[in-house]
Amino acid sequence: MGFSGWFDRCLRSLRTRDGGGGAIEPTCHKGLSLRQFLMLALELGLLVFVVRQFRIESSAFLRIVLLALVGFVVHSFLPLRYRLPFFLALSLTGIGVVFGITNGAWLVGIGLVLILICHLPLSFSVRVVLLLLTGSLLAGLRVGWLHVRWSPAVWPILGSMFMFRLIVYLYDLRHEKQPVSYATTLAYFFMLPNVCFPLFPVVDYKTFRRTYYDDQPFRIHQTGIDWMLRGVTHLILYRCVYQYFTLAPSEVMNLGDLARYLISTFFLYLRVSGQFHIIVGMLHLFGFHLPESHHRYYLASSFTDFWRRINIYWKDFMLKVFYYPVYFKVRAWGPNKAMMVSTLFVFVSTWFLHAYQWFWLRGSFLLAWQDVSFWIMLGLLVVINSVYEAKHGRERSLTRSSLSFHRFAAVSLRTFLTFSVICVLWSLWTSESVSAWISLWTVADQSPSFTAGTIPLFFVLGVVVSGTVREIAGNNSRNARQPGAAIGRSALISLACLALLCLLGVQEMHTQFGPKVATVINSLRSGKLSRLDNAMLERGYYEQLMQVDRFNSQLWEVYMNKPLNWLDVRGTGLEKFTGDFKQKELLPSFVAITSHGPIRPNRWGIRVQDYENQPAPGTLRVALLGASSVMGWGVQDSETFESLLEERLNRENSKGPYAKYEILNFAVPGYQPLQQVMTLENAFSFQPSAVFYVAAGREAQRCSVYLAEVIRKRIYVPYEYLREIARKARIEATMGETEAVRRLEPFGAEMLAWVYRGIVQNCRERGIVPVWVFLPTPLEDPWQEDTASLLRAAEESGFIVLNLVDVYRNHDIKALRFAEWDAHPNAQAHKLIADKLYDLLWERKKDILLSFGSGQIGQGK
Amino acid sequence: MNPMEDIKQTVKAYILKEFLPGENPAELVDSTPLITGGILDSIATLKLVTFVEEKYGLTLQAHEVDVEHLNTISDISRLIQSKL
Repeated sequence: MGFSGWFDRCLRSLRTRDGGGGAIEPTCHKGLSLRQFLMLALELGLLVFVVRQFRIESSAFLRIVLLALVGFVVHSFLPLRYRLPFFLALSLTGIGVVFGITNGAWLVGIGLVLILICHLPLSFSVRVVLLLLTGSLLAGLRVGWLHVRWSPAVWPILGSMFMFRLIVYLYDLRHEKQPVSYATTLAYFFMLPNVCFPLFPVVDYKTFRRTYYDDQPFRIHQTGIDWMLRGVTHLILYRCVYQYFTLAPSEVMNLGDLARYLISTFFLYLRVSGQFHIIVGMLHLFGFHLPESHHRYYLASSFTDFWRRINIYWKDFMLKVFYYPVYFKVRAWGPNKAMMVSTLFVFVSTWFLHAYQWFWLRGSFLLAWQDVSFWIMLGLLVVINSVYEAKHGRERSLTRSSLSFHRFAAVSLRTFLTFSVICVLWSLWTSESVSAWISLWTVADQSPSFTAGTIPLFFVLGVVVSGTVREIAGNNSRNARQPGAAIGRSALISLACLALLCLLGVQEMHTQFGPKVATVINSLRSGKLSRLDNAMLERGYYEQLMQVDRFNSQLWEVYMNKPLNWLDVRGTGLEKFTGDFKQKELLPSFVAITSHGPIRPNRWGIRVQDYENQPAPGTLRVALLGASSVMGWGVQDSETFESLLEERLNRENSKGPYAKYEILNFAVPGYQPLQQVMTLENAFSFQPSAVFYVAAGREAQRCSVYLAEVIRKRIYVPYEYLREIARKARIEATMGETEAVRRLEPFGAEMLAWVYRGIVQNCRERGIVPVWVFLPTPLEDPWQEDTASLLRAAEESGFIVLNLVDVYRNHDIKALRFAEWDAHPNAQAHKLIADKLYDLLWERKKDILLSFGSGQIGQGK
Repeated sequence: MNPMEDIKQTVKAYILKEFLPGENPAELVDSTPLITGGILDSIATLKLVTFVEEKYGLTLQAHEVDVEHLNTISDISRLIQSKL
């Protein structure tokens, strides 16, 4: 067949009423009764309300759920033959709604090219080669070899639509005898929910076709709503774990903390299972009776069982494309050997495909030993388990099993052991480094404290016991179709749960339960980053940790849209390394041209005008100490709050007591409190009248982390006090970072008090006014959980405190930060900071601005 | 008994003996979902494939080991019949 024949066939298939020869044929033609339709529409309406109230996932998701609701209503009234084309149209509309016309057109256009290559009238192997070449070209574009005209946000979605499904599609195309329907194919690749979920289950093409309306519509749609509700519940539970139970490795102090760390790390997977349930559930609304994506995976009673229950679509994909083909190739070696080889091949491939997935979603390569170790260890456990099962079989039943104590105890024990081992493996997989993971186990000899940390243990025990009873007593046959009465009951239960969630999601309702409960519920209504992830995000700026978000889905999503050439702290060559305790400072007389404007440190290596070392007579000079937010990361020289404040002070006070105001910005990106001690010595040489120390939160922890860092780097610590702390904490240069930070954490507040007292004392001795400024990060519900203790510490040290905690109040916080993945204040935020600081200075002018005698100003004290 | 029925009985007997010992045979009908129902996992599926190949002297392909061909006793019997 030539190109013209092929093109004609494409057109014909799109014109025909069912989408072309080989289009999916519904096997059930019954419709919905009015009662059933109203019930489903009501449930779906409530679900949309829950998604809105709990801000489930992104704002894009809310738009897609709304679109799905409207689409479902229209779809239900369409004749069956129009439903698939309608679903395709709805999916393409969804792409437009989320990405806009231009980016959406790029996404669909690239996708169409890939699909068309699959259908070129060439031999299969030539088409595969062409696809590989196109994939390589796209990979080159993904890593930024050439500038592309579409938004970086298109890449992850394009990747998630094609990186695995194209493999499945090609596989089926090769073996499928039925002709292809292009409407089905397009619906398969561009399916509605995919546009807002970069992590998407690998839906099997054959299953996608086979299960289309293969049962009564009410049963299919109701199952979809049940699963979407289940997904929402998983996501809310995930938030609970994410916000309240996660710990950093350095915070693990005893056995109870260790258990909490291991369990909460594994429970973070609820986010993936929640998303997948929602995705598959939404597809049910349009007749795709797909199988479950996860099946009570926390209750797996063996490693093979775990592999079968978690991410079932992935397991099926691996079985189809890797396991069976390899097994059939090597089965002459004997069934056991063939099974072992093909199972190990599956796990090695899984590791490789995770790296491949990472590339398409993030645009960089991920080669982490943790991934290799995790997949190989899990693979070996599954192989051993499979050999055992092949020899001894496993328990299966078509009916309800009898519940005996012996059976219950055996299954519970197996479940508990499997869960425990998976938790340990999971912690290895998600650990930042080998030393961090090993250091977790050094607390094993510390007896657990019965605090909040032990709550998850009881929770897990409860889940295992109740779950095991249900698993044993229930029908263990998955996907068994529920009888009509049961599906009706299921609808009523879902309706009741949705109504309850709706009520809980309304502020006027949950505040009735008292402030504590209301605060918790309110925190679950937001997809904000946790305190640990915000700290991690901040580390990402300075340390360029490529894998800072390696296994953290929320942080990972934040980074996913970050352009590869995004301004980074080190990339501009702005800093020089000093080799001493300060480690780095800005390069004097340097101009760093960034995409957000130039950064020009003056001849003294500070980001201000080229002031003289000595202030002119009558000049009030302020030295500003801080980190990147204070230096003005991402804003132009004239847009920093320091520059704006200085300009306003001079403009509005020209007739005041001073001839001139000068603010010298000594801030350097990444500077921590301990480094400010040395900066202060430098600042004194410029003879300031006041020193403004700007704190941004987590100050005590920053002290611990920094001291651990310099000791590990074998940098000389010039302060006896800090050397004494290091001795007391028994820190050594060879120690892992996590362990060192854990040992220093108890001394964090003490070190910070030393810094603060030192600054105040040194300032007072020189007649300089010490001012402490609290500057919050522009984040929703910021993580400065230690603000109160910081304020207290600053006041007790003798600082004059200027608290800017409400500087962003009544403003859209998202519009005040540099970017989603970069929480530095932007130009608008700097303006707010400058105004607020000016107002506070004016309130305290007697203490700060008017506290100097004429002899103290611009005379060199 | 016609050949199709004969195949069904043979396959059913094998499944009951190998994977569902002690189960009431009446519970396993021709349309019982075996793969989607969790009775046939990958290990059991490959055992069944080996049995079918040896019993009927035929060869199955890797891409035929799926829900479409092996999910029910009827599907399995149809596949065998098509290859005989």
